Amino acid sequence: MQRVLAIALLTWKAALRFRLFLVISSLLLATVVLLPMLIKDDGTARGFTQILLTYTLGIIATLLGLSTLWLACGTLARDIEECQIQMIATKPVARWQIWVGKWVGLMTLNAALLVISGSSVYLLLQWRATRLPAAEQAILRNEVLVSRGSARERSFDKEINEQTEKLLIERVQKYPADRVDMVEVRKQIREQVKAELQVVPPGAFRPWEINLGAAAAHLKDQPLYVRVKFNSAQKSVSGTFDALWQFGLPQKTQMYRAGPMSLAPDTFHEFQIPPNLIDENGVLTFAFINSNDATLLFPLEDGMEILYREGGFLMNYVRGLGIIFCWMALLCAIGLASASLLSFPVAAFFSLSLLAISLSTGTISNAVTQGTIADYDSEKGTSGSSPADVIVIPMFKATLKLVNMVKEFSPVEALSTGRSITWGDLGRAFAQIVLGMGGTFALGGILILNRRELATAQGNQ
Amino acid sequence: MSSNLKKGLLLLLAACLLVGSSRVQLSLNADRDKLGLTRLQPLENAPPVLAFTTVALGGFRGLISNALWIRANDLQEEDKFFEMVQLADWITKLEPHFVQVWLVQAWNMAYNISVKFKDYPDRWRWVERGIMLLRDDGLRWNPNEMLIYRELGWFFQHKMGQNLDDGNMYYKQQWANEMAVVFDKKNPNLDDLIHPTTADQTNRSKILREKYKMKPEVMKEVDQKYGPLEWRLPEAHAIYWAWLGLEQAQKNPAKIKQDDLITLHRVVYQSMQMAFQRGKLVSNPFAKRFEFGPNLAIIPKVSSAYEDASEEDANNREHILRAHRNFLRDAVYFLYNHNRAADAKFWWNYMAKKYPEKNVLDGIPTSLPATLTVEQYAVARVQEDVSETMSRDRVKSVIEGLIVNAYGSEAIGEDERAAGYKLLARQVLATYESKTKSRGEAIAMSTFEEMDREVFTRLMDTEQGVPIEMRAVLRTIHGLPAEAPTAAPSTNAPPAAAGTNAPAAAAAK
Repeated sequence: MQRVLAIALLTWKAALRFRLFLVISSLLLATVVLLPMLIKDDGTARGFTQILLTYTLGIIATLLGLSTLWLACGTLARDIEECQIQMIATKPVARWQIWVGKWVGLMTLNAALLVISGSSVYLLLQWRATRLPAAEQAILRNEVLVSRGSARERSFDKEINEQTEKLLIERVQKYPADRVDMVEVRKQIREQVKAELQVVPPGAFRPWEINLGAAAAHLKDQPLYVRVKFNSAQKSVSGTFDALWQFGLPQKTQMYRAGPMSLAPDTFHEFQIPPNLIDENGVLTFAFINSNDATLLFPLEDGMEILYREGGFLMNYVRGLGIIFCWMALLCAIGLASASLLSFPVAAFFSLSLLAISLSTGTISNAVTQGTIADYDSEKGTSGSSPADVIVIPMFKATLKLVNMVKEFSPVEALSTGRSITWGDLGRAFAQIVLGMGGTFALGGILILNRRELATAQGNQ
Repeated sequence: MSSNLKKGLLLLLAACLLVGSSRVQLSLNADRDKLGLTRLQPLENAPPVLAFTTVALGGFRGLISNALWIRANDLQEEDKFFEMVQLADWITKLEPHFVQVWLVQAWNMAYNISVKFKDYPDRWRWVERGIMLLRDDGLRWNPNEMLIYRELGWFFQHKMGQNLDDGNMYYKQQWANEMAVVFDKKNPNLDDLIHPTTADQTNRSKILREKYKMKPEVMKEVDQKYGPLEWRLPEAHAIYWAWLGLEQAQKNPAKIKQDDLITLHRVVYQSMQMAFQRGKLVSNPFAKRFEFGPNLAIIPKVSSAYEDASEEDANNREHILRAHRNFLRDAVYFLYNHNRAADAKFWWNYMAKKYPEKNVLDGIPTSLPATLTVEQYAVARVQEDVSETMSRDRVKSVIEGLIVNAYGSEAIGEDERAAGYKLLARQVLATYESKTKSRGEAIAMSTFEEMDREVFTRLMDTEQGVPIEMRAVLRTIHGLPAEAPTAAPSTNAPPAAAGTNAPAAAAAK
């Protein structure tokens, strides 16, 4: 451990000697100070805070990510190229200790920079929040600078599947045919069954029962937030539809009526409902009444969600920074692993290319969805095929799976929308990003470094 | 030669070359203009960020703009709107002369994003953002672009003026509040804003010019041509921006497209029509809000605007003349309602002369102007609402409604309108009586005086009637003694909440 720490210390010294720490920390601080002066928001304190969090944390992650990649490539590749590593390798220090030492050094550097910039953003947010009118402060504290958990309706998959199979059998028995695309028929029937749960015809109502589970016990006297989205095939003259809501159960809970609200389709709306509408089993019961002439559809997947306060902003923020730190750990491992084999420019190019690919998975994802890399006719829903599909598509699938292991965590978005980042999320991020993917790169890098002949003539030396 | 001297000489040489190249650049720019090679005018007095993006990025700015546009679309699909103002700002800065970019971004904010919010204040913010983008930035960099004027006029006319958006009344109220800061009186003296003499006038003139980018001199011209307009309402602003667009069209005849010109004219006469229908703000101190009334003073100018447009737009002449006839029908009806029988008669005759062969009542081909009197026409218009069945209850409710409106108008000083309502109520009753005479007592109605007394008593009821302030005004007008004070409550308990949205159990506590 002492040897690893000694290498880490050397990395720190190099960073200080090259004024790297000073430059990066100055850049990060300048971002935090200057950005609020430059960005244009939508005119609300909430919008300003959201854009500030998004942009500052986004820039911090980008700056730290790029500098981490660059440093990781540079610190090892240049040491090897300039033969300075021979001074260390000839001492009683194992190659893996050199590798890990550099990783620890860079990560402690990152940690320090993240703490400085992260605290500046936090203090800036708090300072600005205190200067706002009380009403705006309340919105911020309840909806943005907060950690909110969410609950959804239970899954109806089992019932939908059972009903689908039942109807499918009935239909096949009633209309026997020789050549039927059973997959397509099943899909169509499933959509029909699902629609019955999603659709609210004119004049009808749709009840929801959402179990808030263990959280319900802590939500006494706490307001809840309803996040709702619906679609409509018909257009209204005003572009919006009236929404009437009734919350609670007679004689069991308090009752609350909301509306009529003027809500646009195909978009998420959020509104507050008063406390104490949950019954003794922790279930919130409510209904939407459709007073429009049009049929509305509430998607089962994301049509209805109940948000509730789970904790404060500070710890959520710390966990968010923790996930950003995990990203840095992976980038550091990628940089060091590529520098274990390649010269500095090639390692930097390779690492940046990997980063670029992981950030632009849209095309890969499309190819996987369509099952081919050949042309796809989106109007007809038909696609061609390519001989390369046999190899490329599985490769794309694997790449997507790996990239999504990292991309599924989005702390910046969660923080700017006041969503909870749980300890479980952070733990999962650590396991997937640092141990899983970072560990793989580290093992590869250490293996390569162990087998590399460090004393051979390097590059132009 | 010492090193420092060498450096100094080199710096001097660099400065000379820089000055020399700038002279050559000026000459090149002049040649470019002369030879017609300048497709886009360079931005003048642009802020550093804009100058940098348009000059330094060169052809790459299109790519960056595209990338930002894609991001804006993606975010919008995910309902993340808080970045949209910033992205629109960047996109338009990267393409400051591309008019469609300004139009699409502004439309997106004012129309697409605004309705995504359920609360009207949020919607209003986005509508204002769209207006500001065009007015404050778009026109700044493209002062000759008619399309931007047209779009701006359309936002005022359609988004704020019409009632397609559920939040339109809120927008109008907010705009009236903002404009009340600039025009503190009912009929603003624009000369005070053109040549301010007091600190207050100077301040208001500054707000008008700097914040709202409006010139009082132009407003005066517009007011003289189309007014008197109510500048606290959106229609007046729609006309103002369309007028500016028409002025630009006159200055740059080579750039004009006939279709664009027609749309500008359309904004003018359609807004005039709206200004006639409800272009008068009447403050209702009892309800603490504004109410709208027709602006009857502009009837001749609205009529002229239609006639001018029909002359200029040959392709749509028939449509415009039909709209003109509809306007004249409304004008007669409104004038009659406001007890301006002579004016109603004048416009009735005008309509009869201009459209003698066209029926004035919907669905009745024989209702030609020559076959009806103004009175018969006005009553028939009310009957259109009441329906042909002449149900006793519906007619009674219409008459009572007219009497209520009469007292409401009286209380806020709209005496003409009050008298018009009462006159119309009498006419409706007379028509009803003449048509139901054969059925005798079976469906007979009270006399007008009885109904008037009944409605008045109802309005003056201390519990169910109109607010106490309005009752006091009506008592003064009708020479009644002041109301006796009601007994104070025996406790200091708050009054029972009525019509709240509180949960039942909570309210019961």
